Amino acid sequence: MNRQLSGFRAWMWQRVSAVYLALYIAYVLLRLVVSPPGDHDALVAWMGGLPMWLATAAFLVMLLLHAWVGVRDVVLDYLKPAPLRLLVLLAVQAFLLACGLWALAVLVKLL
Amino acid sequence: MHFEVYRYNPDTDAEPTMQAFDVEVERGMMLRDVLLQIKEKDESFAFRHSCGEGVCGSDGVNVNGSNHLACITPVAEFREPVVIRPFPGRPVIRDLVVDMSDFYAQYQAVDPWLKRKDPVPEQESLQTPEQRARLDGLWECIMCGCCSTSCPSFWWNPDKFLGPQALLTAWRFLADSRDQGGEERLDALDGPYKLFRCHTIMNCVEACPKHLNPTEAIGHIRNLMLKKSV
Repeated sequence: MNRQLSGFRAWMWQRVSAVYLALYIAYVLLRLVVSPPGDHDALVAWMGGLPMWLATAAFLVMLLLHAWVGVRDVVLDYLKPAPLRLLVLLAVQAFLLACGLWALAVLVKLL
Repeated sequence: MHFEVYRYNPDTDAEPTMQAFDVEVERGMMLRDVLLQIKEKDESFAFRHSCGEGVCGSDGVNVNGSNHLACITPVAEFREPVVIRPFPGRPVIRDLVVDMSDFYAQYQAVDPWLKRKDPVPEQESLQTPEQRARLDGLWECIMCGCCSTSCPSFWWNPDKFLGPQALLTAWRFLADSRDQGGEERLDALDGPYKLFRCHTIMNCVEACPKHLNPTEAIGHIRNLMLKKSV
């Protein structure tokens, strides 16, 4: 079995991340409906608590992973010319990296 | 009934055309019978066929947008005009005759034979009835190509993605108690293309004239990979 994030490993991580994303989103929505934070400070305090912060950091990692596997699948299916494929994959990586760094900056501020 | 049939000879025609035929349809008539009558009206019309009873898998065609095996498909089930085309995604050799080279190459790529590490027994390799039953729904494939040529993933990557037919065959040998090549078979199936271009679209299940389920077989292969990896 290969060690790269392709084939079976990519397929497995896509599913694992999908389950985590679904659980996280369901929990956050439920919490916002059942017991919504009263103001911005309460929201920051909730998101900045260690368990929620860790869960959100994991959500970020899983979201980037899920997006990467999904978009790469589409590129592998539809884009045949190797230079174009490389260019698009690099652009997707750059975009996801930028999103990840931005989200990381927000997470660090919450601490 | 009114039929519109795809006509194309790449050597002489600039582009494909559809030719109209009216055929007197009798009760119980199969699509292959119609194609034979069209052939009588126009001898230049080309299509593959052989056994006429759903065994050889030669006469797969696309009818009103979905793939069928002409010899076991009652023509009465189609809405008029009945539009008959070659299998989608395959290079046309002439009219309904397509080049299935990629399809056969993918079948060959899954090593469709029993692999033994132990010495081959003097007589038969015995199986329990339960072990034999695991092969039901797998061995019946007649390689007509209705499934693989209805699969968008196979249209996009026919040279790299094995396609539903070859993957059904791969599972047929992985599931066989007499086969001892499981590890190498699974290793060969890993990678981004061979197995994992399947996006569970399930056109293959709908198209199979033998009512087999390649998507389920692909799911079994993935589950087996999962079991082996944990």
